[in-house]
Formats: sequence, structure tokens, C-alpha cells
Amino acid sequence: MSRVSETGFSGLLDLPLNRLVDKARDEGGRIIGYTCSYVPEPLISVDGLVPIRMRAPGVSGTPLADTYMSSVICSYTRSILEFALDGFYNELDGWVFTASCDHLRRLYDNLSYLENPPFNYMIDLPHKISEPAISWFHEELKLLAGALSADFGVDTGPDALRNAIAKLNSFNAILREIGEMRKEDTPPISGRDFHEIVAACASSPKYLLKDKICKYHESLKRNDGTDDYRARLMLVGSQLDDPEYISVIESVGGLVVADRCCLGSFPGLAHIECGTDPLRSLAEHYLAKTSCPRMMEEFDSRIENIIGIAREYRVDGIIIETMKFCDCWGVDSGLLVSALRDRNIPVLRLEREYSLSGEGQIRTRVQAFIESMGK
Amino acid sequence: MATNKFSAQWLVDNAVRGTYWLENWLKIGWLGGKRGPFFIRSKLEQFPWMWNIMRANQLLNMVTRTRSGPYLEANAVVITNLVGSIMEMVDGIFARKSDTVLHEDLVPPEILYGMGLNPWMAEFLGIVVPLINQTTMEHYIDVAENEGIPPDVCSLPKSTMGLALEHELPDPVAIISSNMPCDGGMNSYSLIEQQYDAPAYRLDVPYDFYNERAIDYFVGELARMIDWLEQNTPGRMDWNRMRGVCEERNRYVELELDLWDMVHEVPAPMAAEPIYLTHLMFGIAQPGHPRGTRTMQRVIDLASKIRHKGGGAFGDERYRVILWNPPTLIFQDIFVWAEQAYGVAMVMDMLTYHRHPYIDTSTPESMLRGIAHCMMQGPMARHTRGPAENFFSDLFDIYERFNADMIWMAGHIGCKNTQALNGMFREKCRERGIPLLFIDYDLSDTRIVPPEGIRRQIEQFMETVMNAERLDSGREDD
Repeated sequence: MSRVSETGFSGLLDLPLNRLVDKARDEGGRIIGYTCSYVPEPLISVDGLVPIRMRAPGVSGTPLADTYMSSVICSYTRSILEFALDGFYNELDGWVFTASCDHLRRLYDNLSYLENPPFNYMIDLPHKISEPAISWFHEELKLLAGALSADFGVDTGPDALRNAIAKLNSFNAILREIGEMRKEDTPPISGRDFHEIVAACASSPKYLLKDKICKYHESLKRNDGTDDYRARLMLVGSQLDDPEYISVIESVGGLVVADRCCLGSFPGLAHIECGTDPLRSLAEHYLAKTSCPRMMEEFDSRIENIIGIAREYRVDGIIIETMKFCDCWGVDSGLLVSALRDRNIPVLRLEREYSLSGEGQIRTRVQAFIESMGK
Repeated sequence: MATNKFSAQWLVDNAVRGTYWLENWLKIGWLGGKRGPFFIRSKLEQFPWMWNIMRANQLLNMVTRTRSGPYLEANAVVITNLVGSIMEMVDGIFARKSDTVLHEDLVPPEILYGMGLNPWMAEFLGIVVPLINQTTMEHYIDVAENEGIPPDVCSLPKSTMGLALEHELPDPVAIISSNMPCDGGMNSYSLIEQQYDAPAYRLDVPYDFYNERAIDYFVGELARMIDWLEQNTPGRMDWNRMRGVCEERNRYVELELDLWDMVHEVPAPMAAEPIYLTHLMFGIAQPGHPRGTRTMQRVIDLASKIRHKGGGAFGDERYRVILWNPPTLIFQDIFVWAEQAYGVAMVMDMLTYHRHPYIDTSTPESMLRGIAHCMMQGPMARHTRGPAENFFSDLFDIYERFNADMIWMAGHIGCKNTQALNGMFREKCRERGIPLLFIDYDLSDTRIVPPEGIRRQIEQFMETVMNAERLDSGREDD
């Protein structure tokens, strides 16, 4: 399988705010940056708002952010703060955070202190999926809707929300179909390329990408695919928005056919069921589907979900990639490794920084992992 | 300051120290006498940390060796009552095995007392044992890391996970935890639950808790927890018993506020361990216990005695410091040394400074609301949750209120929550002209920075920033 990108989406990942973001802005869109999968994208997509997942591509160091956040904090949050201090996000009209983890909460604090963005909002996200927690989150989304209406004058009413949910569902359905092509014996798309597309879609105004995605989807149907791989792998982990990381894994014969990470197909591309109250539907969907280790009481369901995907995609082994200093994934992955090994599923844990480094080590470890599976 | 050998005060001090030393042994011996030597021997094999608890007089020696008069006695009183409570807790895990509930350190046990259950704070050993033997937790940290827990996770949950992996925590009938105080602490309970295979309830504290909606939500969480405990343990809520616990706790708090009123005076008639160790044990680990009230009353009496005589707790108070973050467990005698070396009085710390002290005991609902306030807005809980203002507003309040001269930030390397505020911390202190020392260290692991390393950091700060004169030259033998 060719490891060189043929998707045509790579140019969209070179900058934190790409040319399509500029275009959307020129057309009158208001750009809202967000940093976590728990932020309900449809709510910040209504009435000309354009959600963009924050990235710091090519970050080469975080000296300024380290001064404020210290160097023992997750490098994703430090990289975002570094880019913010360097002015890369000056074109944003607002930020929306969720109180997901210690690191993102403190990124919000530091950003407020150092940059004081005109719209900087924190959603209070429960740590449980109980009925009272869903009601709490629902109330939180009402408050955010009110703040968006007040600050941007946008319509966050039920019809606008239903429309935004329908659009996102329709867009994600295409991505999901592309992702499901990887169930085949000869997948027409590599893990690297799939990740590039998903990351590009998260970093761009979706309405400007839909035609391109549809065309790409059609082109894949005509692709015979490849069996040039040694092992089918599943990637599990947190924030990953650099396709080259997967490229390194695939360079030694692995093929990533399923990805359960913040920017992967699971669970981010799941269909949102829209009931009579769209805000309530969003609260239910985002709280229940985005199963990050920051949620208490969900370890068992998370492991079952991972095993279910692994079976569905017929993976030979699972790679858990965790960001260094992330306590949620750090503790959880230790337990995940044991739980997966107990089920006789080969598993490799790789600790990583936000920006790609130590490619040689990754290659060696993945190669050894594949060999250990007898592939 | 230390007294001259063989002076009348020296003799009195040693008599006091000896009395409490003996009392501690009697308390330790009480457990042995009650349970018998064979039983205790088998438990020492099951719970090797008990050997350290039996060495509690090391802690007594540590905190009294250079102190004198009522200040020495206050320290001795605190240690002896600490030993009494620990022995009672240890006895509880033998005598009340079927109703022992493991609870997280920021989930206070009042409700468990009210339900007639026997609480055991999971992190208690990780906090108390290093006070007696500073390197003990390193074994448990290694156990957790060998099991795949990353080295950068806070060493307190790592110690607790290590204890759980070694099955050295008491077997619980149920586990209660929360999303406090940090991600590492919260997630450590996934491992603890697996190790003990006991049913668990997790309390969810909202991010922004200074509003009625958050309090309503959390009161609901507490009520659901009580229902769950009634279904999963032999415990049954007895609101009268609960009222008794809360009223005792209120009495303790009233006394503690009296102590604070004294401590804000210059020089402070009480400092360091009698302030923070008392709170750690009787404000956090065992609130609502009559022993806590008695201990605090005795500390106040001794502070009054010092005040009446004039002068501070240790005679030559030159600087007053606020300790931010939990105390340096691996360097327990930090303030014993700092008093001697520079005349530094530790007058307040983050864990001791609570803001919502009293619980309204008029109805079950009011008690739950009071406990909800105490938990959500309690020390550390409010500093590590919510926006950064929570962290800084208290700090600068107590700096003013207690007439402090400087802040020492116990910069525990595993506390990412506070490490991520370092830059803001420095700048805000600089704006206010507050001298600030960041102590780089690890809470429970001397291999990261040993106590000598902490001492060197303080010496450099005191001598270069505070231009302090060294008071203890030639006193190394004391």
C-alpha cells in the first residue's frame, strides 16, 4: 500500500487556521475554537458559527507555555497555549472549553489570564452518565446557547439546532462510510490517510469540504485496496491530529483499520439521535458516547466498546497511545493493557508527546509488537 | 527556641516529653492488650505499615526535640491524640470488618459515621506513614509504577494504588470516591475498585460550585450516595446520630476559629504542627470526633498560656510564612528546622484554611447542604477544582489575614493542577510584592528531592530574597 498521501487534504493540516477557515471568515462566519470531543459541535455550528478543533501543527517547542504551565503538563495544552501566545489564533472569534481534565481546565485559566479572548467559555461537564448528570449537562448547554446568542446574536433555537445536527450527521455519515471500508480484507484507504481526512475535517469549515469528501468517497469505491500489510491494528488513545504518527506505525507493516481516539472514527463520528428537545439530545449524546477515561464508572463499558470494535474490524492487535502527563489516560491505560491481555488481545502501549518525535523508537517497538504476534 | 541542657526548663520539657512518650506507648499497647499478641503478629504480617505506626514516638521526638514550654506540650498533645485516633481506627478495621467503607480523602466521613459505618480513608496511610518514616511509601510507589502507572502521576494516589496492589488496605464492604482533587486521584479508584472487587459509588462535584444549582446537584449526589450505601452495606442513616457528629464537628470548628484569631497576632502564640496536624487529623480524617474537640481545646489553652506570658510560640519569631499546597510529608520537621534556623513561624496552610465551617443541624436537608458546602468548597477541593481565582483568592486572603511575610509553595511535582498555575502564581505575587518560594519536590518520594534538597532551597531563598540572618549556627547538636 502506498504510504504517500493521495487524499488531497494534507494542505489543510499545515496551519492551525487553514485557508478554508479564512474563506469562511471572509464569508461572514464566526470562528469558534474548541479543544475537546465533549464540546457539542452542532451547538457551535448554528447560524454562521464555524467550529474548529484547535491544533498546533509543527509546534517545535513550548518555552513560553512552559513558563506559565510548567513542563509537567500535557504537551497538547502547552502547544495550544504557545500558539495562542504567538498569535496564531488571533483570528478566532471565540473559544469553548469543557472542564474535561486538569490540563484543559488550566489551559483555559492561562488563556483567560494571558490573552483574555473576547468569548472564552467553559462548559461544566459532569463525570458521570446518570440521569441527574445528563440534566445538569443539558442546563449547561442551555447556558452556553444563551451566551452564544448574547455575544454573537445567533439563533440557537430548536430549529437551528436540528438543522445543525442534521448537517453534522450527514457529513459524518460519509466519513463513517469511508472508515467502514477498512473492515475489508483489502482496505482501500490506509490508517494514515483516513486520519488525515478526519483531522482536516475537524480543522476546517465542514460546509466547504463536503463536496470534496463526497468525491473522495466515490474515488475510494473504485479503489481495489491492498493486502500489503502484516497486521491489522486498532489505535486507542487521546488527542492525535498528526497523520504522520500513524504513518510511522504503518511504515513497518501495520495497517491501522480502526481508531478510537479524540479525532478518530470512534466515537466521534457516531450518529446523533435528535429528539423533541435538540439540546437535550446533544447532552445525552455527548455525555454518553464520548467515553474518555475522565468519566468515572465507565471503565467496564469502555473496555467492552474497545473489544467490540476490535472484533468488528478483525484487528490483530491494539496500540494504546497516551499523551505523556495525562493522568486520565495514564492510569486508565495501565488497567486497559491488563484487561486486554486477560482477553488474549495483543496490546502495545506507547507514550507520546503531542508533536511527533522518536520515530525510530516507535518503529522498533511497533515492529517488535507485530513480530510478537507472529505476523 | 531550645533550652540549655539541665536548666529547670530543660528538665520540665523532658518530663513533659517523657509523659507523652509513655502515653503513646500505652495507647499502642492498648491495641496489643485488647487483641492479643498472636492476633497482632498476624496483622503485622498482613499490614506491614503497622510497624511504622508503632514507631509513632519518632514523630513525637521530631516535633518536640527543639521546642520548649507550652509550645512543646501543644505538639506533644497533638501527636498523642493522633496516635490515639490511629489506634482506634486500626482497631476498627479488625472489629468492624463487615461495615468498613474505604473513602477518598476529600470525601469526609461524617455521613458514614451517621450511618453507623466504619470509615477508612484510603489515602490515610500515604499521608501519615511518611510523617513517621519518610521513605516507606517509596516501595508502594514502585509497586504501582511496576504495574504500569506512569511515574508522573501524583505520588499520593500512586502510594495508595501500591497499597491496594499489595492488598494492604483494609478489605472494604464498599468504596466511596469522587472526582476530587485531581485526575490522578480520581482515576486511581478504578484500580482500587478492581483490586478489592467491592461495590463503589463515585460522587460528582461540579466544576463551578459557587452557585445554588451546583449545591442542589451535589446535595442530590449525597442523597443518592446514602440510598446506595443503604442498599450495599449494613449502614442505615440515623439522622440523630448524624446530628451528633455534625454538632461535635461544629464545636471543633468554633475552637479552631478561636485559635486562628490568636494566630493572626504577631508573634503567633501557636504555629506549625499544632495548627496543621490537628486539622489534618480532626478536621479532615476524623471530623466530628470528641477527641478532636478535646485536642483543639488543649492547644488553645496552651496558646493562651503563651500569649499570657508574652512572646510567640517559640520565642524568636522573625518571619511568618503561609504554606501553600499540602505539607511536605517527606520533610516532616521542616518547620522545626525553619524555626531554629531563621525564626520562621508557619501560621497557616492551604489544607487548614476552610471557608464554610459550620453545618446547620436543624434538619436532614440542612445537614446535607452543610456537608455539601464543606466538601465542594473545602480546602484543596476548591483550589484544585474550578477556575484559577479559587486558588489565588484564598491565598492572598490568608496572606493578609495572618500577617504573613512570605509564601512557600510546596511545589509537589506530581500536582499538575497547581504546577499549571506556576507562571500566574509568580506574576501575581510579584505584583503584590509578596516574596514567594517554590519548593521543588515530590510529596511522598525522597528520591526525587531529598529533605536536604528542600532545606537548601529554603536556605537560598531565606538568605538571598529575605536577607535572613541564620540563628542556629553551632546548634547542629540540638
